[in-house]
Amino acid sequence: MGRKKKKQLKPWCWYCNRDFDDEKILIQHQKAKHFKCHICHKKLYTGPGLAIHCMQVHKETIDGVPNAIPGRTDIELEIYGMEGIPEKDMEERRRVLEQKNQDTQKRKLNQDDSDEEDDDDEPGSSFQQPVARLPQAGFVPPMTQPGFLPVRGAPGIPPAGYSGIPPMIPGVPPMMPGLPHGVPGMPPGIMPVGGMMPPMMPGMPAVIHPSVSHRPGITHMPQVPSVNVLTRPAVPAVVTPSAQPDITKPLFPSAGQSQQTVSGSPHTPPSTTSDTPKPTFPAYTQSSAAVASPNADTSTVSKPPSAVTSKAATLTTTSATSKLIHPDEDLSLEELRAQLPRYQCSIRQNTPTAPSVAPAAVLPPQQLPHHCGFSGPLRGLPGYVPGQMLPFVQAHAGIPPGYQGGPSRPPMGVRPPVMSPGGRY
Amino acid sequence: MSLFGSTSSFGTGGSGVFGTTTTDSHNPMKDVEVTSPPDDSISCLAFSPPTMPGNFLIAGSWANDVRCWEVQDNGQTVPKAQQMHTGPVLDACWSDDGSKVFTASCDKTAKMWDLNSNQAMQIAQHDGPIKAIHWIKAPNYSCIMTGSWDKTLKFWDTRSPTPMMSLQMPERCYCADVVYPMAVVATAERGLIVYQLENQPSEFRRIDSPLKHQHRCVAIFKDKQNKPTGFALGSIEGRVAIHYINPQNPAKDNFTFKCHRSNGTNTTTPQDIYAVNAIAFHPVHGTLATVGSDGRFSFWDKDARTKLKTSEQLDQPITACCFNNNGNIFAYASSYDWSKGHEYYNPQKKNYIFLRNAAEELKPRNKK
Repeated sequence: MGRKKKKQLKPWCWYCNRDFDDEKILIQHQKAKHFKCHICHKKLYTGPGLAIHCMQVHKETIDGVPNAIPGRTDIELEIYGMEGIPEKDMEERRRVLEQKNQDTQKRKLNQDDSDEEDDDDEPGSSFQQPVARLPQAGFVPPMTQPGFLPVRGAPGIPPAGYSGIPPMIPGVPPMMPGLPHGVPGMPPGIMPVGGMMPPMMPGMPAVIHPSVSHRPGITHMPQVPSVNVLTRPAVPAVVTPSAQPDITKPLFPSAGQSQQTVSGSPHTPPSTTSDTPKPTFPAYTQSSAAVASPNADTSTVSKPPSAVTSKAATLTTTSATSKLIHPDEDLSLEELRAQLPRYQCSIRQNTPTAPSVAPAAVLPPQQLPHHCGFSGPLRGLPGYVPGQMLPFVQAHAGIPPGYQGGPSRPPMGVRPPVMSPGGRY
Repeated sequence: MSLFGSTSSFGTGGSGVFGTTTTDSHNPMKDVEVTSPPDDSISCLAFSPPTMPGNFLIAGSWANDVRCWEVQDNGQTVPKAQQMHTGPVLDACWSDDGSKVFTASCDKTAKMWDLNSNQAMQIAQHDGPIKAIHWIKAPNYSCIMTGSWDKTLKFWDTRSPTPMMSLQMPERCYCADVVYPMAVVATAERGLIVYQLENQPSEFRRIDSPLKHQHRCVAIFKDKQNKPTGFALGSIEGRVAIHYINPQNPAKDNFTFKCHRSNGTNTTTPQDIYAVNAIAFHPVHGTLATVGSDGRFSFWDKDARTKLKTSEQLDQPITACCFNNNGNIFAYASSYDWSKGHEYYNPQKKNYIFLRNAAEELKPRNKK
């Protein structure tokens, strides 16, 4: 049952018009999305604060609040949570919400007595009578359901307290002529009549829960033709979840699913982190909006560490703000390492052969049986010619026959020219 | 069965012989050092399963060997045995009864090492180095799963030279994990495939990677009923994705977090981003540990989405980690992982394996 006073509605963000359950969450959202420095990611508290920070620390000016909708980008307005919102914008918001509520109501309930909308607490005596009758009708189950009310007075009601919710929802006339009532909070035994949508709505969540358990009972009643239950918009929502209380799904449900590709983008739609689970990993809080977002583009600011692994066999490992500590090639560290001669097939490994002399630099590979080592990790290397070990060795280093291999380069040692075409190493 | 005939001397007890440096950056966490560590970088660590009494640790290394130690309750580590391959060992695992160790190598073979007899025999062959090896114990079959850079995933009955099954993958296998009845393989080009192992292994789903960079390590986690329900995937870009197979609400349940980065936030110097080399889940608490090229390990609680602890920085990257079967011991290996290319490779630098008491630090954070 909603409070009658027109409180400030649910907290909402002036910059982007988003709704939140809690002002604290709203503030977290603002800090992460609107008051965050795009340069150093420091989270400020207000728009002007951000502007000042950018100017003083980075010597940069910003002309608008990041991620704000057009018209709401004023960097000079000092807004914190719900404080500081210009009155006219507040009113406009209220109007918009009312409008939305009314529309929803009208649509769902075909409500003709709109003047009842605001009457949520008048359970009063007028309500008692019909209620008293209901129990007599033997409807205990439905009666306990808040929200399902056999609204109509006794006549016609007794048999069915509630028509099943689903059927009710569309176009059920809110009948409560003379039975205004706040739904939730009705004394036990009194059926909350859901006449008032608006006031009800805030109360819905509370109402829903207790009713969940009754759900199974309710659905038995679909035969109430004359009943008008106020359908709360939330009701349908309630119905659904209750049908599946905690089903433990089998891990691998059935063939039908097996080919589905689960979208790997788990990102919490950025910013809807109104439910950001509290303290997140510190590195993670960097942008709470980016929490679940690996997308460099979605997360507004989280440093795009480096470009996506490119297909062209190299990674972009550096950017202005960060540097990937990884060799450039798009191979795994093990593949890169395994290319080294010292890790090639054991024969040479276990007998650290001396031949590091002159042409011998080329010899050791010659001795290696073909199946050793080269094929796998080197596949990706440009220039690698499968099956031809010798030319590989020679070509990459630009080693002409008779390559000295450097003065006594130990075979076990690293050979940069050999390893990387183009001498990247 | 020889003692490790390597050049390093045997330390007694847990402390290394070299603990003389004042800065001791090789072991800033002052954890127990395993004696006679391998002579080259450690690629994998695995503790014995609960079916065996005591704790035995195996480590595979780039020195082509796989070594086994007994870890005693007082922290002493006793080298027990080792086996050799003809190429660097990339992965190793235990059979469910703890009597065999399976090892996979760059020499394209996998071997089964019978610890009782200390004999090893080849049980698998690929066309490229084998990067991942896991033992699968199903009600109706048992086998070894090997993932290779030859883009195939093969299943072997150890008694037969031909694979029971061979599945083609889109790319080279980079890492895998198995918790029956689920297996996950992450490949090159950010491929990610989940397999279901009931009756016989089959591909279950290919998943769009939640990460934007090269996959490096993966570990499956279980739900409260001890059934595998998702996995953690680490990339070279200092990030781990927690991904559920059948989440109620994918957008909310799946998430990624950054880790193994330098500089924290709010600084203007470029941040160094390190690869996540390995991920391991605590067998009891369900919390996880990550180790990275930055030489640190961190413990995380994925349900509370918080970090539990980060270690001091070691002077070398941490390349592997694992928990023992009851979660009391956390082992991690300090050795070069090639993250800075060949120039930073120093064959003379000592490699370490450390053991840490994990009973307390990995307790989950109380929610709310």
